[in-house]
Amino acid sequence: MLKPRHSKMVAISKETKRTAKENIQTLKRIWTFLSDQKVGLVFVIVLVMASSGLSLLGPYLVGKAIDRYIVTKQAHGFAALVSALLLIYLALSLSLFLQNYWMIGIAQKTVYSLRTQLFQHFHQLPISFFTRRQSGELMSRLTNDIDNMSQTFNSTVIQVVSSALTLIGAIVVMLSLSPLLTAVTLLIVPMMFGGMRWITNQTQKRFREQQQNLGELNGLIEEVLSGQKVVKLFSQERAMIDRFLQKNEQLKQSGFWAQTYSGFIPKLMNVLNNLSFSLIAGVGGIFAFKGMVSIGVIVIFTEYARQFTRPLNDLANQWNTLLSALAGAERVFDILDERKEEDDEQEAIHLPTIRGEVEFQDVSFSYDQKQDAVRHVSFSVARGETVALVGPTGVGKTTIIQLLTRFYDPDQGQILIDGYDVRQIKRASLRRQMAFVLQDVFLFQGTIRENIRYGRLDATDEEVVEAAKWANAHSFIMKLPNGYDTVLQQDGGGISQGQKQLLAIARAMIARPAILILDEATSNIDTVTELAIQEALARLMNNRTCFVIAHRLNTVQHADRILVLREGTVVEQGTHDSLLKENGFYYELYHRQFTQEVM
Amino acid sequence: MRYVLAYLKPYRKWMGLAWCFMFIELAVELWQPLLMAKIIDDGVMKNNLPLIWKWGAVMIAISLLAFAAGIANSFVAAYVGQQYGFSLRKHLFEKIQSFSLSHFEQFSTASLITRMTNDVTQMQNMVFMSLRIMLRAPLLIIFGVIMALVVQAKLALILMVLVPLLLLFLIWMMQKAATLFSRVQQTLDRVNSIMRENIANMRLIKALVRSTYEQHRFTQENEALMARTMTVSRFLETITPVLLFFMNAAIVVILFIGRSEIQTGTVKAGEVVAVINYTTRMTAALSIFTFVTMAFSRARASGRRIAEIFATTVDVTDEAGAGEAAIERGEIQFEHVSFRYPGSESFVLQDVSFSIRAQETVAILGETGAGKSSLLQLIPRLYDVTEGMIQIDGIDIRQWKQAQLRAAIGFVPQDLLLFSGTIRDNICFGMDTVPEAEMVRAAKDAQIHDTIMTFPQQYDTVVGQKGVTLSGGQKQRVSIARVLIRQPKILLLDDSTSALDVKTEARLLQALKAYACTTLIVTQKISTAMEADMILLLKDGNLLAKGTHQQLLNTNGLYRKMVESQLGKKGLSDVKAAT
Repeated sequence: MLKPRHSKMVAISKETKRTAKENIQTLKRIWTFLSDQKVGLVFVIVLVMASSGLSLLGPYLVGKAIDRYIVTKQAHGFAALVSALLLIYLALSLSLFLQNYWMIGIAQKTVYSLRTQLFQHFHQLPISFFTRRQSGELMSRLTNDIDNMSQTFNSTVIQVVSSALTLIGAIVVMLSLSPLLTAVTLLIVPMMFGGMRWITNQTQKRFREQQQNLGELNGLIEEVLSGQKVVKLFSQERAMIDRFLQKNEQLKQSGFWAQTYSGFIPKLMNVLNNLSFSLIAGVGGIFAFKGMVSIGVIVIFTEYARQFTRPLNDLANQWNTLLSALAGAERVFDILDERKEEDDEQEAIHLPTIRGEVEFQDVSFSYDQKQDAVRHVSFSVARGETVALVGPTGVGKTTIIQLLTRFYDPDQGQILIDGYDVRQIKRASLRRQMAFVLQDVFLFQGTIRENIRYGRLDATDEEVVEAAKWANAHSFIMKLPNGYDTVLQQDGGGISQGQKQLLAIARAMIARPAILILDEATSNIDTVTELAIQEALARLMNNRTCFVIAHRLNTVQHADRILVLREGTVVEQGTHDSLLKENGFYYELYHRQFTQEVM
Repeated sequence: MRYVLAYLKPYRKWMGLAWCFMFIELAVELWQPLLMAKIIDDGVMKNNLPLIWKWGAVMIAISLLAFAAGIANSFVAAYVGQQYGFSLRKHLFEKIQSFSLSHFEQFSTASLITRMTNDVTQMQNMVFMSLRIMLRAPLLIIFGVIMALVVQAKLALILMVLVPLLLLFLIWMMQKAATLFSRVQQTLDRVNSIMRENIANMRLIKALVRSTYEQHRFTQENEALMARTMTVSRFLETITPVLLFFMNAAIVVILFIGRSEIQTGTVKAGEVVAVINYTTRMTAALSIFTFVTMAFSRARASGRRIAEIFATTVDVTDEAGAGEAAIERGEIQFEHVSFRYPGSESFVLQDVSFSIRAQETVAILGETGAGKSSLLQLIPRLYDVTEGMIQIDGIDIRQWKQAQLRAAIGFVPQDLLLFSGTIRDNICFGMDTVPEAEMVRAAKDAQIHDTIMTFPQQYDTVVGQKGVTLSGGQKQRVSIARVLIRQPKILLLDDSTSALDVKTEARLLQALKAYACTTLIVTQKISTAMEADMILLLKDGNLLAKGTHQQLLNTNGLYRKMVESQLGKKGLSDVKAAT
């Protein structure tokens, strides 16, 4: 299959600069992925060799046939030669088909296992990886790179190998037929390399320039269109158009030269093809006149010349594709090389049920080894207690939760659950006993039923409905067109923020956790839904150890205990009333907010 | 498609020129086998050396001619392609800038961006290619057959029959492949969306111990993707071997016929060589054909998407007699306003009437989806009312020029949009020259000045993609400074203080009082609403109640409930005690 060649050129200039050593390492790594399919690969290579040979043999026999039966009109063996030719052509087509058929299988299986490994690896990476990397960038990188690899594996490998083989084979046969005419034919090779080199030198910097201008233009488009509301409100349409035109003009300029120069490549190939054809016809004609070669040999040479300018051209093109795919592969491997989350301790135990007693003993932790996120935090929580974490943003509320769930381990001190150090408990076993209702609810593309059941996978349909009823979600679900089988779009599109919260509560409800972690939603939920949520939460929190990252006074007032945090340390703890009496930081926080609200 | 190609019109002459150059190339290529036949038949077979020299030289000369034509073609084609892309982008952008927000919703911003970037590039490439190889492949096939017929009709007959059949086969295969491709794309989208979901929500997935479940879900789609990709790729890979086999078989047939005709002397050896050579050239062109059809169908889809934009009629426009005068007072009056978003069935606002005197402050309360934001958006004509009328200073807003209307309105939308650039650029957005003092005053009033001064670059701090990321609250305050600097007559705040802490918000609201403007605040906070001269309570698009805090507290149940839920019973009694 022919691919759009010119478009590929764009990605190239950057990639070609990578060192050969890096490329070889990446190739080796790809090989380990392919090596599961060694047998198939060997088979493909044998077939590629066969097809390269056959594609040389065909024109050779045609040339011979012309010599014997067209020019000299011999009588014998024509039928045999014709049938041999037909067979060769059939075999050629078959071997082409089969090698592609197998190669596609191998390539797609490789891409499949690469994707799977990558996906599995994601699940083993520590959570800090995802905090570090922007998910959008990560995603576009992965999809493009893997897609690119998939395309390249499919066809490029075969093309590169067969081009190289055909090239060598053609030269060998030509040399054996007529060294002199071969020399004439090969005259175009230095011209080709010289020409290509000149063009690539010209195009590289222009493509870079074009890429940059295109990037800038696209950036501008994205920004202006996303900010259209503001553009309109400030009546800045004309100004934006002017800015756009300026960038558009720049792109046109650089694009013109990039496209012109890269347009020379096929033209160069054409003229060289035509020239070699002319040379072979002319010089070959003179040689034939002198009896040095036969007319059949001229025919063979014209075909071969075509067969080797094309592979050279292909090689040049495919090489670039290959390099950019290699660069992509390397980026994928980079992610696979990211260190996994530490394994559970050897002697970690499985805790089938926990009561939900939590104790922090002098816990300190820092994300960056520079500044402590929490410092010397100690507190203990009895089973069934509701604890509210209160304090301004960035004081370590979330960090405490992250430590409790073992997304991070403390640098100092220890966290005990039911008297066990959390590091002694298997992560899965620990997390299975916890449920979360977070601000940004994770709903995946799927039915509502599946989304609720996500809390406990073996829950029956009845249990799902029951949980939804408890969570005050049943009534709105039933109003949806397909009830529990309504398919939610990505990110839970189609239902409101408040309804998402209700689903999250249902999901936590069905999990029957011992420990519950709530991160309250702040705003944008209407009053009626808000009341429904509070009621459902109250049911959910009943009889469970709860940690609440609180933003609203209401919840805080009802907590059994409030931990007041300031700059990573617990400065006060107690009930709402007792803390108010203390007249400390909480008092200040509370009154600042409260008086504002009443005045 | 025709609509989009119309932008090629100014370049018709250039296109003609490019095609001329391409024809020269093509003619040379088609002429060459013929010349070779001459060298063989008239030169080698008849022992005429000067003739070989002569035609050999001619062949080289015309090769160089073709090269010159090719180079010229590159220049012209690139010129046309780039000019076309430029003008398409220009017109598209201008069209989009004239769109009202409803068009942005209709198309979605993301899709508009793709249309302006990918689709235009696709069209531009198509134009460039069609000036070069796209026409060349079909022409080479047609003229190849004709030339072969001219050289020796008896030999070329097989091509006459075979080539059209193969073309039909090709087209049929490509059509089938297109449907297969779209299925692959769907599966690929699903695989990617699971990946995206997982990357974005890894924390929760880990917390819930759902890795195995997710991997199972992923594996299923991944397997489907593998299977479908294999099917379509393998399907496509049958094309080349089939084409190759039949064209090669044609060569054998030509040899066969050639031999028997040579016996009778009606066909010459050189003619056989030439016809065979045409056949191999056509084989190469046929395989380019698959690529050409694919590129065409892609470009057609792009063209259609672009044409949709051009075909859209702009709905919010200036009336012919719209006045140039500026808004002076800032009185707002809604008269039986009903509104539904274009393309939507249900009304988001129904029969809303109220009037606001100049420099009053009005709070708008209501549940999500009650129509608060929609109401605000109608005032600067981001959308036009469906029924009823909005008046400012006693004149229907459709009678003002949009630029005049919007110059008087400072709107801080809910979604925070800053442009990449410095903070200064953002605050002074759309103003020609602003004295430093004015900018600082606006920033101070918006309670962002102190924060800005803590940045190393202060007002020259670059924000956005390449610069620092501001927090939600900081963005809100910059957005507010951006409208305050313009001294608006009407200030619209769409829940724009939600991310601010209570103290800062109070200071901000205090600072706003110094501005002589009519203010509408959409808010969720009762504390903010309590300060307003009037509260509008919306429910399901209807104006449920209007009045002061005290009036509503006494007369409206929903309002009471809202106050209770935010301030608690205690808060409520405190309020009562205070009043």
